[in-house]
Amino acid sequence: MIITIDGKACECEKGEFLLQVAKRNGIDIPTLCHHDGLPGQAACRVCLVEVKDGGRSQVTASCVFPVDHEIEVSTNSRKVKEERGMVLALLRMRAPGSEVIANMCEAYGAPKIGRLKPVVDGDKCILCGLCKRACASLGNGAIETLMRGTQKYVGTPYDQPSADCIGCGSCAEVCPTGAIEMKDEKGVRTIWGSEFRLVYCRECGKLIGTEEYMKAAGNTDDLCDDC
Amino acid sequence: MTRTVLVCCGTGCLANGSKAIADKFEALIAEKKADARTECFVKRTGCNGFCENGPLVKIMPDDIIYYKVKLSDVEEIIDTTLIGGKPVERLLYKDDKGRPVTKQEENPFYAPQLKTALRNIGFIDPLKVEDYLAAGGYEGLKKALTMTQDEIIEEVKQSGLRGRGGAGFPTWRKWQTAREQNAEVKYVGCNGDEGDPGAFMDRSVLEGDPHTVLEGLAIAALAVGAEEGFLYIRDEYALAVKNVTAAIKDAEAHGFLGDNVMGSGRKIKFSVVRGGGAFVCGEETALIASVEGKVGEPKPRPPFPAIKGAFGAPTTINNVETLANLPVILRDGGKKFASVGTEGSKGTKVFALVGKVKRTGLVEIPMGVTLRHLIYDIGGGIQGDRPFKAVQTGGPSGGCIPENMLDLPVDFDTLKAKGAMMGSGGMIVMDDRSCMVEVARYYIEFLAEESCGKCTPCREGLRQMLGILTDICEGRGKKGDIELLESIGEMMQDACLCALGKTAANPVLTTIKYFRDEYEAHISGHRCPAGVCTALTSFKVEADKCKGCTMCAKACPVGAVSGEVKKPHKIDPAKCIACGSCREACRFGAIATEGRKGK
Repeated sequence: MIITIDGKACECEKGEFLLQVAKRNGIDIPTLCHHDGLPGQAACRVCLVEVKDGGRSQVTASCVFPVDHEIEVSTNSRKVKEERGMVLALLRMRAPGSEVIANMCEAYGAPKIGRLKPVVDGDKCILCGLCKRACASLGNGAIETLMRGTQKYVGTPYDQPSADCIGCGSCAEVCPTGAIEMKDEKGVRTIWGSEFRLVYCRECGKLIGTEEYMKAAGNTDDLCDDC
Repeated sequence: MTRTVLVCCGTGCLANGSKAIADKFEALIAEKKADARTECFVKRTGCNGFCENGPLVKIMPDDIIYYKVKLSDVEEIIDTTLIGGKPVERLLYKDDKGRPVTKQEENPFYAPQLKTALRNIGFIDPLKVEDYLAAGGYEGLKKALTMTQDEIIEEVKQSGLRGRGGAGFPTWRKWQTAREQNAEVKYVGCNGDEGDPGAFMDRSVLEGDPHTVLEGLAIAALAVGAEEGFLYIRDEYALAVKNVTAAIKDAEAHGFLGDNVMGSGRKIKFSVVRGGGAFVCGEETALIASVEGKVGEPKPRPPFPAIKGAFGAPTTINNVETLANLPVILRDGGKKFASVGTEGSKGTKVFALVGKVKRTGLVEIPMGVTLRHLIYDIGGGIQGDRPFKAVQTGGPSGGCIPENMLDLPVDFDTLKAKGAMMGSGGMIVMDDRSCMVEVARYYIEFLAEESCGKCTPCREGLRQMLGILTDICEGRGKKGDIELLESIGEMMQDACLCALGKTAANPVLTTIKYFRDEYEAHISGHRCPAGVCTALTSFKVEADKCKGCTMCAKACPVGAVSGEVKKPHKIDPAKCIACGSCREACRFGAIATEGRKGK
């Protein structure tokens, strides 16, 4: 099946998501909460595109829009620019400390709206929830999005150090804005209020992970993949 | 002869002491057994709808209905009506002209109503399956058992039934999609997570006629080919949870549910899921997540729940009121159902009519009736005969409709075209003393708390809108605020993940559309025309209207009003906190509002 994105004919399979098709064809759509290993998050909404289908047109998130039949897609129509710009402007207030967001606002021409107020100065989290999904998909579930609405935040149960956390750092790894604090210092990793002893490869000295991570992975030998 | 005393035991009347009244009737009737000619039964029923006049007591077959009954009235009712066969005049309802009304159908609140979903409520004991059967219950299910899946769906298609939860999606089409799925396990679900402020339609049905919901859900199960179902009821509805749980047990004991439904060999099992207390769980995909034991957050669709829903199985969720209509559709036929209503919206709709109307309560009317009829004829008009300002329909995601649209027919499509929606049936009437900016702020605050917070536009859009609206109400509005609210709102309509988010800006967008001047008065004129926003309001006494009755001075909580009897009073602006108590107390309309001085 052929669909048109920004005037370019793109081949795709039925059921493929628009974002996937655009990426394969070298068409730029900004994303934050999209991760190939954890698809379908659909939370940040910066991947907005305009889909024209017959006489109808709708602005929608491309990461979860499955192609069903031949459509015409615009990633840069006036409407997309306006609405994406507003989403980014809101994210800048949500995460005023994030360079990633600041750069994206710049790159996609998000309006500077002095009337909007920053939520917490210096905060980098955009609450996309990728971290909790990464944690859950590894079978740990040490963190969750807590509360709801404008009170929502990411944390451990009752904000106490979680016994389920293995200090693997996957949450920090997938975070699009580097909002999760993880510190490796003097052989100890500090994350989510817990401390973990780090294990290094006995041959090359490369960092393998934390002791708890090794245990969870069933890895008894302190050798890295390369050695 | 046999007389039955029907004591309303809906949540509203219970709160006003109706249980004690029912108990006293039982005890006193037993005591006064002396009169052998009259045999009396006391029955506890569900909500009659006219809650503000509760507790309600109905006497059948005389068809006398008493309002605001007190414990001390019980003996008189027994002596005069049950034994004497005459009405107790002082407990009757007085119509708009002050005449006492005996029968329910002569009461201007009930007369224009046409009850389908609420047909049994107030007449049957919700905890007695025999009562439901006597009212023609489980006949729709019996008929459905003789039909094929496609025949059931066709019957519902003929009825034109659309989802009563708000979106108005054709019920048959949802079923058709689920029916076409080739899956071993399918689920049906009842959405009883009613969370709109001021709405209590579904609660009343679940409490007052639980079997009709079970029957409707069983019919849905037969249509889509499901053997299992759940009723998701918000946990705050304690009586609904209790009555539905009891009804399931009862229905199973009588063979209407269970392993061999009415001897057909079919299996249908239902369970109650108590909601986790989130407004967003009324959204289908969030409801399913909650049933699965996950955080109640919506999921992107497609896939639609009818294809991939609870635990990955095809799932059809229907609203309580939708389900309550189904037994009638199957029993009497889809055509008969479709004879009521408008072209695109068939049947009746239940509304919770609340706010500044004289008669508030639960109302069921045919689709297509005008808002004016609903508010002025059934609701009796605005309290104190004040001017009407707006009616908020469809809950927080609905919109505010102004006076010049009162002649619009109430149905799914007309209100949607005006930027509001019929929604699940909440209808809040406002008079000229309601500030539309404050109303928008209230709903946005509600939604900012109740949004699941998953997607950026809803969570952050609501947060920023709330900040701006609060500023406007507190006198810090700035030029350009209206346009900024509009562009955030319009973005949300497109960019949000679920229907809650997409409609969350409606209260702001409709109030701007229809009451823009009021926003402007706040921002540019430093004045709240309704006299609600205290930072932008001051009150003064209009000397020519003031009779010097001293009511305002008595009502003032801070002693800001002074004056002599029979002489015009004065308000000291330095002491006044702009609470409006004086204005409420004044019977001569002598208290006027103006902007805050010095701002």
